[in-house]
Parts: sequence; C-alpha cells; structure tokens
Amino acid sequence: MKTKILTFLFIAVAMSVFATTEFSCQGQSDPWTQQQLLAPADLAKVLNNPKAAQPIIYSIGMQAIVKGSIDIGPAMRAENLNTLKQKLGKLAKNSQIVVYCGCCPFSRCPNVRPAMELLKSMQFTNYKLLNLPQNVKVDWIDKGYPMSE
Amino acid sequence: MRIFALAFALFLMGGASSFLTAQPTGLEIGNKSPEIKLPTIKGDTISLSSLKGKLVLIDFWGTWCAPCVQEQAELARLYKKYKQASFANGKGFEIYGVALEAKKPNWESFIIKNKISWIQVSDLKFWRSPVAKAYNIQELPFNVLIDGKGVILAKNLHGADLEMEIGKYLRK
Repeated sequence: MKTKILTFLFIAVAMSVFATTEFSCQGQSDPWTQQQLLAPADLAKVLNNPKAAQPIIYSIGMQAIVKGSIDIGPAMRAENLNTLKQKLGKLAKNSQIVVYCGCCPFSRCPNVRPAMELLKSMQFTNYKLLNLPQNVKVDWIDKGYPMSE
Repeated sequence: MRIFALAFALFLMGGASSFLTAQPTGLEIGNKSPEIKLPTIKGDTISLSSLKGKLVLIDFWGTWCAPCVQEQAELARLYKKYKQASFANGKGFEIYGVALEAKKPNWESFIIKNKISWIQVSDLKFWRSPVAKAYNIQELPFNVLIDGKGVILAKNLHGADLEMEIGKYLRK
C-alpha cells in the first residue's frame, strides 16, 4: 500500500513538473507577444470598411484565403521565407503588416515562427499575427469573414 | 375489425421498415455518410458511393499536417491487413483518402514517395473544400469509418482504437 501511494505521488509530481516545463518552453519559444495577436473579428472589420487603413496581409501558409492577402507559400521553406524577406525589404519599418497561416494550432504550425522571427529581426514595428487558434476554416471561413476570390 | 387491426399493424410495420432502411444523411453514427465525389491525381473522379459493399475508412488529411503524415504508415499496415477481409457489413476494406491540399505537386510527390496504394482524392481547395464543410471538419487528422451501405460506424478513431473497431466487424 505504501509503495502504491509513493508511486502515485511520484507520478503526480513528475507529471506536474513535465506540465510546467512544457508550458514555459512553449511560452518562451513563441516569437510574438499577446499584443501582437490580431483577433480575426478585428481584421474582418477593417477589411469590410473601405475607409479604414488596410494592412498588408501575407499568407505564409498553404493558401491565401483571407481577402486581399498575398500568397507567399509555407514560410517553413527557405525559398518562401526569402520571397517574404524580399517583399518586406521594400517596405517602411512602420508599415502595418499581418501574417497568417491557419493550417493548424500554433503549437503545431511550422510556418508562423519563421515568419514572425523574420519580421522581428528586420525590426518592423507594427506587425501582427492573425490569431487563428484552431485553423483558418474554424476561425475565419466558418465565421463568414471576407475571403479572396 | 380484425381486418382493420391487421391493416393497421401492416401500416406500422411498413413505416418501421422504411425507417430502418433509409437512414438520414448526416454526420452522426448510424447516419448515411454524405457523398464525396472528387478527382484523383490522374484527374478521374472517384465517388465514395462507388465503394458500396466495402468497409471504408474516409481519411481526411494533408501533407502539411504532421500527425496525418505520421499516421500514413499505420494506415498502410491496416490496408494491407484488411484489404481482402470479409466483414459482417462489407466485403473488403478500402481507404478513401481526402487530401485538404492546396497545390498538386506536394500531394502527388508525397503519394509517389510513400507508395500510397489506396484511393486518394482532392479538390485542391485546402480548408475551403466543400467536403471540409460537408463533414464539419474542425481539425486534422479526422476520419470516418463506414459500412458497405455507407452508414457511419465510427468517427475519428486512431491507432489501436481504429483497428479494434475494424476488428469488431471481421467475419471469422
């Protein structure tokens, strides 16, 4: 009985330690802040308002689904990241920029990190990551937000 | 009076049998799975309904989805093991792979490289595919197991759970 309780305690402690390290690792490795996450509803509002200043939107995933976005291709690939770098090189550092992928949750997405790291390293001051926690279907298409033709 | 009762009983039975044979189309277990009709890599169209009579796993996946890619080896093993098997509700096992892909080259090279021999279709519309909407897919991987009549047996089972479910219908 004593061994059983001890084993249980050991497993419980091990699990909680694992959970905290996992959590903190993930937080540290994300090259964006909470303030840099752009709510889909907010971008949709801007896109639906022709008088609003429109950001430059880059699709750094599989397909440019968001209305007006520029198709870069998956940023995990060096050639696509290079294309993005070249396009960004022509912009003022304070340009309003939005990037998105939307294949899968951020924890599994191979594209958002390279793109956000690039924007950071190029010292842009006004860039955001479209917050699609699940994917572009659930968090954009299903909501009826504006899509490309 | 007796004739009346008999007629009424027959009416009830008729109603019940038509209710049992015509399952509504839907996404719940016991529903008839919505039809899918999409092109293969070669461009010919294969419909889900053309696989009638077989136990079919509809596998929604994408080359960009890491857990889906990981699962393909397991699907290959299941396909080989059960392809020719007889089931209580179907003869033979087929996989109908629906790729939520955006561009053909990625999809095509993955299939060739991994020697995927089961049916593969895609409309190359990624998350905008009408099939993703019809099956209310929230994330990948996602799958649906249907019987020889196209009726949904199980949803989103993977690994040992999936094989156990297939095994349940195996005719020994």
